[in-house]
Amino acid sequence: MTLFLQYALSGVATGCTFALVATGFVVIYRVSRVVNFAQGIFAVIAGMATSSLLSRGVPHGLAEALAVVLAALVGLVVGIIALGRRGTPPLASLIITLGLGIGSYAAIIMAWGDQPVSFTGLPGLARAGGVSIQYQFLLVVVVTAITFGLLSLFFDHTYLGKGLTACSSNPYAARLVGIDVHRMGLLAFTLGGALGGLAGVLITPLQPVSFDSDVGIAINGFAAAIFGGLLRPGTALVGALVLGVAEALVAGYYRASFESGVALVVMLGLMVWQASRRSPAVEEEMV
Amino acid sequence: MNVLRRRSLAFWAGLAAAVASLLTPIALDDSQLTVYVFIGLSAIVVAGLSLLMGFAGQVSLGQAAFYAIGAYTAAILTRMLNVPTLLSLAIATAFTGAVAMVVGLPLLRLRGHYLAFATLAFQLIVLSAIGEFRGLTGGDTGMPGIPTLSIGPLAIQGQYRTFIYAYVTWVLVAAVMLLNRNLVRSRPGRGLRALATSEAGALAAGVPVVRYKLQVFALSAAYAGLAGGIYAFFVSYIAPGSFPVLLSVQFLIMAVVGGLGSIWGSTVGATVVYLLVQLLQSLGTGPGLPLQLPAILSYAVYGLVLVLIMLFLPQGLLPAIQGWISSQRAISAVEAPARSTPLD
Amino acid sequence: MLEVDNLVVRYGQATALDGVSLRVERGEMVALVGPNGAGKSTLLNTISGLITPAEGSYRVTGRLAQVPEGRQLFANMTVEDNLRLGAWRVRDRDCRRIYDLFPQLGGLRHRLAGTLSGGEQQMVAVGRALMAQPDLLAVDELSLGLAPRVVDTLAEHLVQLNRETGMAILLVEQNARLALELCPRAYVLEAGRIAVSGTSEELSRTAAVRAAYLGGAADEIVGSPNQP
Repeated sequence: MTLFLQYALSGVATGCTFALVATGFVVIYRVSRVVNFAQGIFAVIAGMATSSLLSRGVPHGLAEALAVVLAALVGLVVGIIALGRRGTPPLASLIITLGLGIGSYAAIIMAWGDQPVSFTGLPGLARAGGVSIQYQFLLVVVVTAITFGLLSLFFDHTYLGKGLTACSSNPYAARLVGIDVHRMGLLAFTLGGALGGLAGVLITPLQPVSFDSDVGIAINGFAAAIFGGLLRPGTALVGALVLGVAEALVAGYYRASFESGVALVVMLGLMVWQASRRSPAVEEEMV
Repeated sequence: MNVLRRRSLAFWAGLAAAVASLLTPIALDDSQLTVYVFIGLSAIVVAGLSLLMGFAGQVSLGQAAFYAIGAYTAAILTRMLNVPTLLSLAIATAFTGAVAMVVGLPLLRLRGHYLAFATLAFQLIVLSAIGEFRGLTGGDTGMPGIPTLSIGPLAIQGQYRTFIYAYVTWVLVAAVMLLNRNLVRSRPGRGLRALATSEAGALAAGVPVVRYKLQVFALSAAYAGLAGGIYAFFVSYIAPGSFPVLLSVQFLIMAVVGGLGSIWGSTVGATVVYLLVQLLQSLGTGPGLPLQLPAILSYAVYGLVLVLIMLFLPQGLLPAIQGWISSQRAISAVEAPARSTPLD
Repeated sequence: MLEVDNLVVRYGQATALDGVSLRVERGEMVALVGPNGAGKSTLLNTISGLITPAEGSYRVTGRLAQVPEGRQLFANMTVEDNLRLGAWRVRDRDCRRIYDLFPQLGGLRHRLAGTLSGGEQQMVAVGRALMAQPDLLAVDELSLGLAPRVVDTLAEHLVQLNRETGMAILLVEQNARLALELCPRAYVLEAGRIAVSGTSEELSRTAAVRAAYLGGAADEIVGSPNQP
């Protein structure tokens, strides 16, 4: 039983990082209808940047914060290029984000090399009732909870947050009212960058990242995001936790190499299930 | 009069390209012929992908998976079951198409970006599966000793092996392009084009949208399977590592560069991108240069090409050149008007 | 207030507006009538800044807000949020004056806009536009899909606003009878061109207009206080 709990708890921690990545997908998709294939890159860049800053003597906390800011800036740049000129169709933007993701491999390798990178997070273990859990796991969960709290406050209780929601609710009406939908899209990308960066900063102590880790991170995040149809962050959070725990259990009880397969199977299964519920004709927008 | 002139220009250009590509192998040495073969195989895959993206509006990040399925099917049939190579090739092509039918049935109901992730996931799963079923596929270490293609009693081997493969590839590329051209001009082809412009409109006009999308998806997979089979016979040794996700991306880039839905575009795109990749490899390797340089150059160029083309030449290289020529000759372009909505 | 000068708008190869000119003076109520597809919504979207004209120009002096066709609310957001978002361009987000104007909305302020009735939604749409404190209110198809009594109430409110605050109104309507009754001056837009313009009195007497838009009725429209 304690073994199960250990696996489950570590799964909750990884699930939290997936949730952050997933929310990045959701925020960007809601506002701009673009699926950001570079979402995983934000995490990788932030993780590696933190490691570099720490090795240069920048204290913990500050290093992570700076890395998240860097990831947010990268998100902004991706947004500027991907949203392009007015009238860029979302599929074109998707391919552009894919191109930017691959292009950033070059930048990452140049900056940090092609080997995996990690750094030590919060050291030590907490023990309770025969179960020991790393402090880093607890940190991940706490930070994720705080982030989600802040996000919900932002979207539900601030004027700017409501403006963002309006863009996804009815872009035409948003324009009429004077909201610059393009600028909101850029804000969404910046936020998505920050969220991805936060995920990277939290996950790197647990799992070393290298330049191509973004694929796995993005797949996990996307699989969680589609629990909520790419539109609802709350559902994505639930999906992410389920996914994280499932992966941890599979890795623990069966084989570690099957871990990545879980996300793939879950994602495909979800897609097939969602597809069967829709009519085979042209899909309507869900708001 | 003008239209006749323009059609002649395209006709002559196409004929010239066909003849040139037919004669080129004669002038090439063995390693260059190998490049020729790989370009040809890529062109076959991309012909299908271009059709899929250009007409069905779907982004596939997993064409390399179908390429792999074709290769492994052909390899297993010939090596383990002693099926004659031509028959194996046919079966491999058909089987790959069938797999796509099954996989596409649920997935093609989804929006484009779902399919992009789904095909990526599909490829990763296929690669894992190949690694898992070691008994059948040789696992991660791969399957050596695949016999070479035999046309009837004649096996392609010996001094002119690569030379003959080059011509086999040429014939297949030509066949695939002809098939695409006839497809595009047929009634289903017009339905496909309606689909590309507006799904809702096509649906309203009675076009069986889902069925067409599925068929195009299966056809593109069949093309990839065919190319994969030839690949297996040509290189005689395949492993999961021969079919990475990056290969799917490469096919995507070739399709985008050449021009989605453009018949010649797929071949042009394959040639341009493949040669570019070769160039980068040779630029990046050399004494004193960092080991990662080829990889860095490749990634940077892939990314740059994708971004720049999608932003500035979304219709692809070939149509862009055709358009430029038309405008230079001050002939009113007969290209479809850009689809603009009231809120652009 | 609003000056449109030979406006030409194209969608790809199709021409939606083919040299349209009109004006709305400060404090005026002007109607724009015409059949479906004439280009009325295109005109409104252009002067709202959403579409770039191919030729010609337009000038808006002061603030313009549009009540779009079909309400176009933020359906999954509350009435209050919808209203407050209307004030995006101005500082004042206080909704009280809207609740004063439409008392029913006060009770509905926390309801999701998508759950309201057609008439209530139209009130929200008008209210949202009014939050921008416009000098010119452009209303696109006020009467679409609404019961006549509801339309009457809304129309009364608009007339009252025009009288009390001097806010100009451009009323775009398929229902020509309603438009001509409310507005002293009108334009008729057909196939992207202004076919006829003048005072509503003149237009309601013009045979062609009567035949096309007023059901060929023999009685005078302008001046009758009630709609049949």
